[in-house]
Amino acid sequence: MPPLIEVKNLSKYFTVPAGLLHAVDHVSFTIEKGKTLGVVGESGCGKSTLGRTLIRLQEATDGTILLNGEDITHVNGNKLRDVRNKVQIVFQDPYSSLNPRLRIDDTIREPLKNSGRYPRSELKGRASALMDLVGIDVRLRQSYPHELDGGRRQRVGIARALAMGPEFIVCDEPVSSLDVSIQAQVLNLLMDLQDQMGVAYMFVTHDLSVVRHISDQICVMYLGEVVERCPSKELFVSNLHPYTKALLSAIPSVDINQPMQPIALKGELTSPINPKPGCRFSPRCPYARGGCSEQPQRLEEVATHHYVACCRVREING
Amino acid sequence: MIGRGYDPGRDENAGFLSVRNLNVIYTSRKKIVHAVNGVSFDMKKGETLGMVGETGAGKTTIAKSILRILPDPPAKVLGGEIRLDGKDLMTLPEKEMLKVRGEKVAMIFQDPMTALNPLMTIGDQIIEGLKLHNDYSDVEAAQKARELLEMVGIHEERFKEYPFEFSGGMKQRVVIGMALACEPDLLLADEPTTALDVTIQAQVLDLINKLKARYGTSMILITHNLGVVAQTCDHVAVIYAGKMIEYGNKKDIFIDYAHPYTRGLFASLPGFNVDAPRLKPIAGTMPDPTDLPPGCAFHPRCPYAIEECRNGEISLKEISPGHYCRCCNLQQIW
Repeated sequence: MPPLIEVKNLSKYFTVPAGLLHAVDHVSFTIEKGKTLGVVGESGCGKSTLGRTLIRLQEATDGTILLNGEDITHVNGNKLRDVRNKVQIVFQDPYSSLNPRLRIDDTIREPLKNSGRYPRSELKGRASALMDLVGIDVRLRQSYPHELDGGRRQRVGIARALAMGPEFIVCDEPVSSLDVSIQAQVLNLLMDLQDQMGVAYMFVTHDLSVVRHISDQICVMYLGEVVERCPSKELFVSNLHPYTKALLSAIPSVDINQPMQPIALKGELTSPINPKPGCRFSPRCPYARGGCSEQPQRLEEVATHHYVACCRVREING
Repeated sequence: MIGRGYDPGRDENAGFLSVRNLNVIYTSRKKIVHAVNGVSFDMKKGETLGMVGETGAGKTTIAKSILRILPDPPAKVLGGEIRLDGKDLMTLPEKEMLKVRGEKVAMIFQDPMTALNPLMTIGDQIIEGLKLHNDYSDVEAAQKARELLEMVGIHEERFKEYPFEFSGGMKQRVVIGMALACEPDLLLADEPTTALDVTIQAQVLDLINKLKARYGTSMILITHNLGVVAQTCDHVAVIYAGKMIEYGNKKDIFIDYAHPYTRGLFASLPGFNVDAPRLKPIAGTMPDPTDLPPGCAFHPRCPYAIEECRNGEISLKEISPGHYCRCCNLQQIW
């Protein structure tokens, strides 16, 4: 059986006055049914663009996207509508992603109504079943979004994404605007829904502890490229790419006996416009040598299911 | 050093900053928001106090009260006392308060994008603050401003650039440079790294720590990131619904935490308990600050709540030397 999602060499470039902005560059991965792929990286690394391109909110510049083995990269019309029923998204900002003039239950009823799949009489029951599922109080169902707090709004966003029974949901930083106690409630909800419905997630976030908790596989992105990909558990035990090492070392630990010793990175992200062919991390990399900035880097399987794009990976970890 | 009935005048060791029974409300046409409800704490010189709590807990309001920059209306400071180096900031004439702001106490805001004037060059903005508080000539001020930029790791050739030409991390470093320009005694850092990526956050925290050590500055660090607190602070105050519910040194809070809310915060952290399949979040949400529950404001969410929690004022008790907790059912929890 083909995997639920298979992405091959997916690229998304934007034309800007200064040239071509490589937002996502030759990214490949697969996601199995009911599993979660975590995508981590800092702002501007292309992780949100990857999610949006993957579910066809934006046209891919190059590459293919397969859903259950079927190419959906360029489908249109009714075919695209079918795809939209199967792949959905939960956005980062629960404040701007809900229509402020629709009541909560209307927001959730809308996709059900538009699908034309259900008679009018069934809509109400289905919408309230969805709201039960994500834990929205009965008394809040006639409220407008501005009357709810962030956590409840994000539950509305999740209920709306679940309305058509999708097989795959892109979660684009769904908990990063929430306080920790509320964040934990929403993460638990997402994991419970996965257990009940077998939905697969692509979980985009900059928070490594969140991604560690929820993911089966993790991709680390830097300036549009995947630099490391491996099972989630392995990443935190044996991370091999210099960028991953720096990223993990920069997380302030809550263990007061473990002082933070961040690997100092020089400067900040370089520009993704017209990048040079070599390693994009090399200007900041503590291990970079002359060759790194010229030689294109390919993801290479250095251990079982552990892919790294670094030409010096063996020396560094040797 | 905290608690009710404490008289700073009698204590010779009363710290360099002492806040007593601070109460702040926000009023709107119909409702009253009880933002800060009787907060007291002391700080020594050179100390870093972490203030943690969720959105709306009143952390920023406490910091702004110290600088007296709350907009009135809608904000109203109902009472309390704030002393800095023995001076009562609450009754200080506005003219003298202008000298305290920037010179004695400086603040770093959460969002570096809005803390800078978009129409002024970075250099001019730093010079403006310097000249306001010192008798510098134009040349001296410019020289000093360049040194400050260099100190926060920004090349002086960017002196004449505008904020939009800087990245988020660089803007926050400029803001830190400006805050430290007059070598303040107290730095109020309100979520200084929340808008930044982790690798940039590490750079900024490192910078703050270095500068603090160099000038002996005291700091109140407001954040909801417990990791940042663990790595930078000496003491920690946990704020919930405008009240301090737990206070202690780093070990008291991160290892011997006592209050059910503090426990809940740690249990909610992904990555704190790696092997648990599910997180253990605190049930429910923050209470409505216009309608706080009687007794302990946390009792509707607290798994250990008893009848006593629902009535009357719960006091802050010292449970071990220097470790305070506002909970009336601690025996049972232990």
